[in-house]
Amino acid sequence: MKTKFRSFASLLVLVAVGVMLLAGCGGGSSSSSEGGSGDFASGAEAACKKANGAISALGIPQQEQVVTYLQDTEQLIERLHKEVAALGPSGTAETAYVEGLEEAIPVLTSMSNAALSENFDAVRELSAGLVEIKLGELAEAAGLKACAEVPVSES
Amino acid sequence: MKRTALIVVLGGVLALLASVGVALATTGATTGYPQPKNIVPAQKQAPFENRYVLTAVGSGASIRSGEMKFEFEEGSSPQFLVGISQFYSYGPTGEIETGLFTFYPPKELPNDKGLGFTALKVGASAQYGQVTPDGELQLFNPEGDRVKGRLRLHGGGPWPVEFKVLGDAERYTASPPAAKQIQEAEPNNPGWGGEPSEYEGEYELTNGGNDPTAKAGTLGAVIGVAQGLGTQGALVSSGSMTVEGNPAIATVKLDTGGTERTFTLTKLAWQGDQRVAQVHNEGPDSPPVGRFEGTGGQGEVKGTLVSGHSVYKVNFKLKG
Repeated sequence: MKTKFRSFASLLVLVAVGVMLLAGCGGGSSSSSEGGSGDFASGAEAACKKANGAISALGIPQQEQVVTYLQDTEQLIERLHKEVAALGPSGTAETAYVEGLEEAIPVLTSMSNAALSENFDAVRELSAGLVEIKLGELAEAAGLKACAEVPVSES
Repeated sequence: MKRTALIVVLGGVLALLASVGVALATTGATTGYPQPKNIVPAQKQAPFENRYVLTAVGSGASIRSGEMKFEFEEGSSPQFLVGISQFYSYGPTGEIETGLFTFYPPKELPNDKGLGFTALKVGASAQYGQVTPDGELQLFNPEGDRVKGRLRLHGGGPWPVEFKVLGDAERYTASPPAAKQIQEAEPNNPGWGGEPSEYEGEYELTNGGNDPTAKAGTLGAVIGVAQGLGTQGALVSSGSMTVEGNPAIATVKLDTGGTERTFTLTKLAWQGDQRVAQVHNEGPDSPPVGRFEGTGGQGEVKGTLVSGHSVYKVNFKLKG
């Protein structure tokens, strides 16, 4: 009887732990379209603020600075993607945001390459690929306000 | 697929180039150009199937000399012309630079005046976009062995051009002779109108478009920069201009998405409805980086503002 009770108690503990774990993992997905899952949202927002600040600090490139500007932006977006992906996105919206960042990297690489060969019409055309990603919308959907903001640069 | 098409086109370009030039004397055929959607009757194109040497060009184009050839695309049906040119230009520090362009597709000019072609800049390799639209060449109907026309390149022009048809045996052993520089009637009246009251004041931008960066989040800034590059003219989402002072100076503020730019325009000049100015990025005392060319009058100024690699199409209207 005592053994049976112990087994039952152990089972209860296991079930309770399981429920807690499920709540911890799944809670984010239900709120991801609103405010983002706790740790991911706060971490992503901090990473975006840092990246936006760095992009703003690049300013507006003069003619001879366009290649460097594009290469620097590419590196910043690559770093942002790594940081945000490492936070472990959960739910459709957060995953879509991280995928949007990942999608932007090869486009930025192509833009840098086109600028290197002084093909600025191609740089402009390729930027349509970035517009299509609608990264700001994806950020909003994931509840990431800072990530939805456009970095402002002034000449 | 797109890359393959470009490689094929570039192959055709190189074959044609080999046939144009004087130093490259092989007679080649053009291949690889797709059939144009717009059909021009072959009899209207035939008079232009020739080799040419540039004999005169508007001085603003900074072209010293050049050669050109038009021939029918091999195997095309209906037939269409493709052209190639080699222009020798004066670089910013006076050195001679070579520029290769192809001209395709042909289109009829209004009033049966001749043919027009998109000018495609030819790069060093068949990378994406290495053959890119860079302007337009209009050729008016030949008069004897002379063909006059107009040329737009790199966002500048149009400049008048004159070509001489070369005979089959006429070839140059080096670069072709220098073309006559046609001095264009440059506006030289100071300001942008007869009286300062006609043009001084606050202007608002009237051709603002949708902001491509609005939903781009962190990518907005780089999109804003990229949209300002190239020869097509950036989509400006908002802007303003203030014209004041004696001599008059214009301060232009343009927003291409998340990117705000301020330009200073000096040496404002006018002639008829022409309006021109010198463009500076960092105030009136900084080195000029480009030029504004447009039209104006009755409280409006519209035209193209070029700053380095960036081109902006702007329409401004004087407030109240």
